Amino acid sequence: MQPITPSPGARSPRNANYEIDARLDHDAKTLRGRETIRWRNISSQPTSELQFHLYWNAWKDVDSTWLRERRMSGLFTPPPADAWGSITVTSLRLRERSGEWRDLTSQMQFIAPDDGNAQDRTVMTVPLGRAVGTNDSIEAELEWDAKVPRPFARTGWVGNYYFVGQWFPKVGVLEDDGWNTHQFHAATEFYSDFGVYDVRLTVPRGFVLGASGRQTALNDNADGTTTHTYHGEDIHDFAWTASPDFIDLSQRFEHQTLPPVDMRLLLLPERRAQADRYFAITAATLRRYGEWFGPYPYGYLTIVDPAFQSQSDGMEYPTLFTGRSRWLVQRNVQTPEGTTAHEAGHQWWYAMVATNEFEHAWMYEGINTYVTARVLEEALTSNVVETRYFGGFIPWALRDLPFSRLDNERIAGYRLNAEADAPWTPTFRYWPSTSAVITYNKTALWLHTLERRLGWPMMRRILSTYFERWKFKHPRPSDFFDIVREVSGQGHVWFFDEVYRGSNTFDYGVQEFRSDRQGQNAYRTTVVVRRFGEGVFPVDVVTRFEDGTEVNETWDGLDRRAIYTYERPARAVSVQVDPDRVLLLDVAYSNNSRTLQPRSGEASLKWSLKWMVWLQDLMLTYAFFV
Amino acid sequence: MSSAPAVAVGVFALTFLLALPLAVALRGEIRSHLGGSLMAGEVTDGVNVTWWQEFTAQATGLGTTFSPTILGFAATLDNLSSVLDGRAEIAPIGGALAVYLAGWTFLSGGIIDRSARPRPTRTHGFFAASGVYFFRFLRLAVVAGFLLWWLFAYLHPWLFDEQYVTLTRGMAVERTAFLARVAFYAIFGALLVFANVLFDYAKVRLVVEDRHSAVGALVAALRFIRHHPRQVMGLYALNGLVFMALLALWALIAPGAGGAAFSMWATFVIAQIYIVARLLLKLQFMASQTALFQAHLAHAAYTAAPLPVWPESPAAETIPR
Repeated sequence: MQPITPSPGARSPRNANYEIDARLDHDAKTLRGRETIRWRNISSQPTSELQFHLYWNAWKDVDSTWLRERRMSGLFTPPPADAWGSITVTSLRLRERSGEWRDLTSQMQFIAPDDGNAQDRTVMTVPLGRAVGTNDSIEAELEWDAKVPRPFARTGWVGNYYFVGQWFPKVGVLEDDGWNTHQFHAATEFYSDFGVYDVRLTVPRGFVLGASGRQTALNDNADGTTTHTYHGEDIHDFAWTASPDFIDLSQRFEHQTLPPVDMRLLLLPERRAQADRYFAITAATLRRYGEWFGPYPYGYLTIVDPAFQSQSDGMEYPTLFTGRSRWLVQRNVQTPEGTTAHEAGHQWWYAMVATNEFEHAWMYEGINTYVTARVLEEALTSNVVETRYFGGFIPWALRDLPFSRLDNERIAGYRLNAEADAPWTPTFRYWPSTSAVITYNKTALWLHTLERRLGWPMMRRILSTYFERWKFKHPRPSDFFDIVREVSGQGHVWFFDEVYRGSNTFDYGVQEFRSDRQGQNAYRTTVVVRRFGEGVFPVDVVTRFEDGTEVNETWDGLDRRAIYTYERPARAVSVQVDPDRVLLLDVAYSNNSRTLQPRSGEASLKWSLKWMVWLQDLMLTYAFFV
Repeated sequence: MSSAPAVAVGVFALTFLLALPLAVALRGEIRSHLGGSLMAGEVTDGVNVTWWQEFTAQATGLGTTFSPTILGFAATLDNLSSVLDGRAEIAPIGGALAVYLAGWTFLSGGIIDRSARPRPTRTHGFFAASGVYFFRFLRLAVVAGFLLWWLFAYLHPWLFDEQYVTLTRGMAVERTAFLARVAFYAIFGALLVFANVLFDYAKVRLVVEDRHSAVGALVAALRFIRHHPRQVMGLYALNGLVFMALLALWALIAPGAGGAAFSMWATFVIAQIYIVARLLLKLQFMASQTALFQAHLAHAAYTAAPLPVWPESPAAETIPR
């Protein structure tokens, strides 16, 4: 699809514009809405239909594709009877060229383009009765009733807290080869066109409300409700939250070269003490992403501290995101910073560079995970392993165990499911329970690997070029790869074949290492390094000798093994494959080295003694019963 | 039990020697995984999370329990949490626990017997008493086991997997959910404490009164608790407070990963001192319960005359009074 040049004053094509008026019935947990969509065909082909996402029908019953996938992945527990949600379009009208409205309600029908699931009600199509050509616009008006679910995932109500995402009939994306309107899947949900949103939300008076866009009006109504009006430009989705318990806090992000941003934090009282941490990491993210890739242009950003059991934590929407924290947190652990930085970062990789998450989730979750780790490493000084006890409420920071977001965070999950799916597979087809591992972990690991080959300045140039060229557009994988080639001067086809088009596991290691005396001051050293996994990656092999010298070989890693023999006056001490740990995807780094002066005896003694104390403590705990 | 150091040494030996073979087995797993890797040096001198993650990923059996939670005070939290949260242990650990509890069941007769006497019983007396009461305690353990099985297999899941989940499903405030969990812990814990107190005093009455019937001892223990609730629970609370104080101290000084050589042995010795303190506290607990019962023993209706055979029942100690 050719990018459309935005009109003057606009950052994006603004081809999907919404005016929404919705009213929340707090007692009944229902939402009634009306929207007017002004949609312009920016594809090269005409269309004679409109397709809409109706996501809340994913929680209408257990037969939706979303719940089928959740059940398949073992992540489903039967909800209480009042948990189910739904959305029903009660009226759909199209404005004719004459200005008359034509009722299309009776012609709406559900489709299931991804899996043919006749029970799924998350995508709706309606024939227009006429063709809408390239750059032609139409105006449709919809009315709907919705039942707000208890949280299945990401949206719903708990107590007085509402997080409302994917809540209105949202038009799909028309591409050159047709509509791209996927059903709601367990692990993917975002893809829509940019536009201008004017939204009026009526909620009980006293509720603090935050939403995508900027608040432009606040009107109390005679019936005890308040209407909050929001306006957002160049955004492709709209989410909101409301609770009478929110503490409404603000700080301003200012920077010498970046535009200021009004940060608004909607914080729940039990985490009042964490306000500064939320603001500080959000500001750090705005600063670093802004300096590295390009400025955050909206001027406002809402941070939502989500309620317990709301399952709305760690979610991104245009100009609004939810963090993730706990009531009790440790100072030297990156909660709430980790999730906050990640979701704030999505304003770049999702809100502005708006990839098709259904098909290429790695392009924003993976890229953002990779960059988040760098922000956290630079912005924060401490992060240690945290364990939680007593139902997960009581945290304990293991001060001795520094935890690197770069080296440790993603490899553990990836190691267990490295071959689950090849990233080129459309994301909605990933196996649901391991989808995140491929989307987040593998991508972050191969981007870190690429960085360790090319260097951070080059990666930064690649990403800033990619951001600048594709912000407010819908890039595809080839667009990213083209920019890597253009900026770095190397196609890295072999690399992307391995990490993107393949699902091979990487594991290089030392198979044999010996250094035998051959005479007076003469030693023959034999090194056999091995490719244990199917994945191929060039690695360095460094052999060190007792006299302090070392030999560095570069192995292309293609064959199953490489053998190096050295005749030298000194005995070898150690050999290491990939000593700088460039290949972060290597699932077993322990076998990458071998020494002729091993200390595994000492190490195993030390750690088995530690473990023994744990066991003694456990035995004494159970001795309570006798 | 300060006047019976051999008893303390004995229970420490049991705790140490039972853990040792499993630690040796785990050491083999760790050593095998590290092999000749340079990482061995890193984890000898400090810690390496990458290696730990890799070890955990491939671990089986005992190795699966080798996680960061074994370090320092986290180990204590982990173990207390595992009991209250009803965590099932893997077979080798469960087996070791069963043997350990059986060991305590055997030694308890001798410990209570020694606690009840104002004079040393010597080794032969200690083990003779242990032998005499072991089978009576086993019968008691069957009843206790049934009760605990019901508590953990039925009540715990009902409380925490059903009632707690239902109650907190709609809670928007984590602090409230935590208080709810604390309340559920209190309910479950109160039942555990009551069972603990009941079986403790049943054992005391079995020994001090030389009873043969486990059921009779349980009924008698219940009667004693009913007649002296404040003293029994007061003593329990006092011992509980001392235990909490010990944990608080351990939380402050518990060594973490540490290094090699001297550091390794120094941290191990400190940890063993903590283990000894826990053991002494348990012995003190048993002795204090025995003393409390004995303090109320000389009542008019007391008729359980001890058999004048060696080793005589500690109830005989009350005869001169």
